[in-house]
Amino acid sequence: MITGQAIFIGFFGMAAVWFGIVVFRTFSMVRSAIALLFSQTALGAMFLTMQAEFLGVLQIMMMATEMSIMAIFMVMFMMDPGGMGKMDMTHQKRLSLIAGFVAFVGAVAVAVFIDWGPVTETIADTAQQTEALGLELLGRSMLIFETAGVTILTAMIAATAVAIKPVPIKIKTKDEK
Amino acid sequence: MTTLLVLLLLAIGVYLLAVLENWIANGRFQLTAPAYSAIALLGRESVIPRKPDLLFFEVGPVLLLIAALLAAAVIPLSPDLIIADLATGALFLNAALAYILVALIMAGWGPNGAYAMIGGWRFLGQLVAYAMLIVMPITAVAMRAESLVTTDIVFSQAGLWNIVYQPLGFALFFIAAMGLAFLPPFDLPTAKGELAGGVEAEYSGVRLAIFRLGRMVLIITLAGATATFYLGGWQGPLLPDWIWSAIKIMLVTAAMLMVGKYVPRIRETHLLAWCWKFGIPLALLNIFIVGILIVVIP
Repeated sequence: MITGQAIFIGFFGMAAVWFGIVVFRTFSMVRSAIALLFSQTALGAMFLTMQAEFLGVLQIMMMATEMSIMAIFMVMFMMDPGGMGKMDMTHQKRLSLIAGFVAFVGAVAVAVFIDWGPVTETIADTAQQTEALGLELLGRSMLIFETAGVTILTAMIAATAVAIKPVPIKIKTKDEK
Repeated sequence: MTTLLVLLLLAIGVYLLAVLENWIANGRFQLTAPAYSAIALLGRESVIPRKPDLLFFEVGPVLLLIAALLAAAVIPLSPDLIIADLATGALFLNAALAYILVALIMAGWGPNGAYAMIGGWRFLGQLVAYAMLIVMPITAVAMRAESLVTTDIVFSQAGLWNIVYQPLGFALFFIAAMGLAFLPPFDLPTAKGELAGGVEAEYSGVRLAIFRLGRMVLIITLAGATATFYLGGWQGPLLPDWIWSAIKIMLVTAAMLMVGKYVPRIRETHLLAWCWKFGIPLALLNIFIVGILIVVIP
């Protein structure tokens, strides 16, 4: 049976795919980044439709800042960030096509053939969901998330350290005055 | 019905803000001035600059308004006078406010002008830093309330308002809210005189009117958030709930505007250095202190 929920999930899913396509159809790097943002926002809306409120809101919140930061990095590093020169930024097209197709088939196969177990009939209310998520993050999954967090922090510090141009330290002697 | 009522009160609040801003900035109390300026803006031609990113140019101001309105949806004016009493209200507020950044980047990039673009990217740096000072004090507030529901947060302050319970968090949140609403002295993305209006520079007519409206809704929303999280929301003696909310929101707004009148604009580098070196450690310290306080004095 098609419910209102299913229709909305389908709508946001298609919106996510459409914005994903727009990422590659535009020449402008900023448009590309913002399209990716709205693709992710649509994913967040899918979470909301599936009544996973905390995850949905979190997804929608995190992506806004992350994709904006990506946009400025693209503007800094790409040769034609505004896309006004219509410069083609793609390469290795045949390989990408094959890789993309294989990944797509793989994802669909996983979705179709995996045993998802029994579908939950009732959904816990949002406050309980949030509490359960908190207990999970600070209990069983703590090690995984802390490891990931520390790894990312290390990478950020390392990247900053590499990016800084070392300033030669010069000590002035009395004669140099 | 509740939604319409809240929107009406928001509209009144925005109008009063415009009067207040004029009063504080020019020293003239003119009740009709914002109406005249609005009519003037709507009557003026809305120029489209040469070779714009038209999509971004059009969407920027509208997204600013929508994001500010969505954030306003979780601000309670009384236990019942709230558009959406979400179970994740305090987090939803952050999510909606994050799109202010996207709106300003779009509005900065769209018109294909140097000043606007600098303004937009400036705001990126400003918000990436100051969003932390919004989120972390809210974390401490939610810790005390043991809930992300905004009405529960107000109820948790029945005995003692959070401004007394966690003054450090209040100070940080107040500064960050001003930075997020790019009010002077943090008005770096618009920076009159230095960037000739920055993000606003290329907008005129009806588009500028929407942009300004969105920003004013944003200021009222942030003042509402400050009142909700730190000043006990609608709580107060004698007067009805929503009047207390309105009084507190207007007082916070006036305080924000007064700070801007007397403090000169801060340099971008200083603003960011202060936030990363002092603001964020202080916000973490605030969470730590509140964590201990909750155990000692619930």
